[in-house]
Amino acid sequence: MAERNADKSAQAHATGTFPDLTELCRIHEIGLDLIDKSHDLDGLLDRVLDEYETRLQRLPSEALDARAGAARGDGAAQLRGLVMFATQAAALKEKAVAAGELRRKAAMLEESNARLQQALDEARRAHARLEGVLAALSSGVMILHPEGGAVTANGAARALAGLDDDPERARLIVAGVPRDGDAEIDLPVFQDRRTLLVSRRALPGGTGEEVVLVTDVTSRNDAVEERVRLEKLAEVLKTLSVLSHKINNPLTALLGRAQMLQAHKGENPMVVKAATVIEESSLRIADLIRELTRVVKEGRHEALDQLLDMNASAQESGR
Amino acid sequence: MSVVAVSNGPTRTLRLTGCDALDAANAAEIKREALALLGDHPNAVVDLSGVSFVDSAGVGVLVGLFKHARGRGGRVRFCGLSPGVRAVLELIQLDRIFEIFDDAEAAAR
Repeated sequence: MAERNADKSAQAHATGTFPDLTELCRIHEIGLDLIDKSHDLDGLLDRVLDEYETRLQRLPSEALDARAGAARGDGAAQLRGLVMFATQAAALKEKAVAAGELRRKAAMLEESNARLQQALDEARRAHARLEGVLAALSSGVMILHPEGGAVTANGAARALAGLDDDPERARLIVAGVPRDGDAEIDLPVFQDRRTLLVSRRALPGGTGEEVVLVTDVTSRNDAVEERVRLEKLAEVLKTLSVLSHKINNPLTALLGRAQMLQAHKGENPMVVKAATVIEESSLRIADLIRELTRVVKEGRHEALDQLLDMNASAQESGR
Repeated sequence: MSVVAVSNGPTRTLRLTGCDALDAANAAEIKREALALLGDHPNAVVDLSGVSFVDSAGVGVLVGLFKHARGRGGRVRFCGLSPGVRAVLELIQLDRIFEIFDDAEAAAR
């Protein structure tokens, strides 16, 4: 039986064709279950080893003995059958090992993909958080590509730089700012001029891209000017306070003497007129001093402006 | 022929000594001895450097030891194959089924 099968196998090898898998298995004396198990290395090996044991037990002892020369008769046929089976079994085993390796690599790849997906999801969440932070910033943040155009900009940057109207304004904004430096620039925004503090910094990674921070410092500058003005006003009011006090003493003496002259004026009309003028002028100065004292106490520049305006008007009308 | 066992960590090395043939005359006895020495050790190295001839019964012993270790979730590795033994294993393709190493040190690694 085995000899007949071996002959058929030799014929099949010679023609290079096999009718079908069942015939192939029959010729090589291997079961279809062996091929079924070829995807399962452990199952396959168990089946193959059992078959080896069975065939080796059937095989005459001298069949494998090279010292005894070539096996003969039934032993030779059984040996050929064993060799054919062994060849197929070994090929299936190696295929199963390779398939197992492929499955292991596929599992590793799947695991790696899962880790990459996880990292991607985390990066997306981080990106969303960063976008949220940028959107919430009152300062403008722009990323510029090496040629100067904006790659991306948050809402504040678009508003401050007017990028929605003209994306090329990004170049205009950074034109006066040195690389990796800071500068204040005045920029027309709508029908107004704004002062912007602009900082340029190179982004790491060697892409040539830059991050640009834009902060509107117009109101800050206004506040600085107002503070300087208030400081000056305080100095003026302090000086006025001292002056009022110093003028008030001689004025009181002057007014007293004018009133004495009025009391002893006699009949000389020039003395009478001079005493009247001195008294009236002294009273006007006294009113002015009182008004100045009030302004100093209030400490407001509007009151001082009003007093100065009134005094100017009075002088104009007095001329 | 007899079997000598040497333990090295979790791996037990079996060395076949005393006769250069593993054949039908001693296969059953050697298999019994070897299985007793392996016990429950899942991993073993079978050193065949003392064997120059093996017949079908002797190969059956090697297949039996290989199955024994697999049944315990372990591995049997063979080493020290003489040219004659190697030729027999190659003839029946067992060199593609078994794990074969040049010497015991490489096999135990």
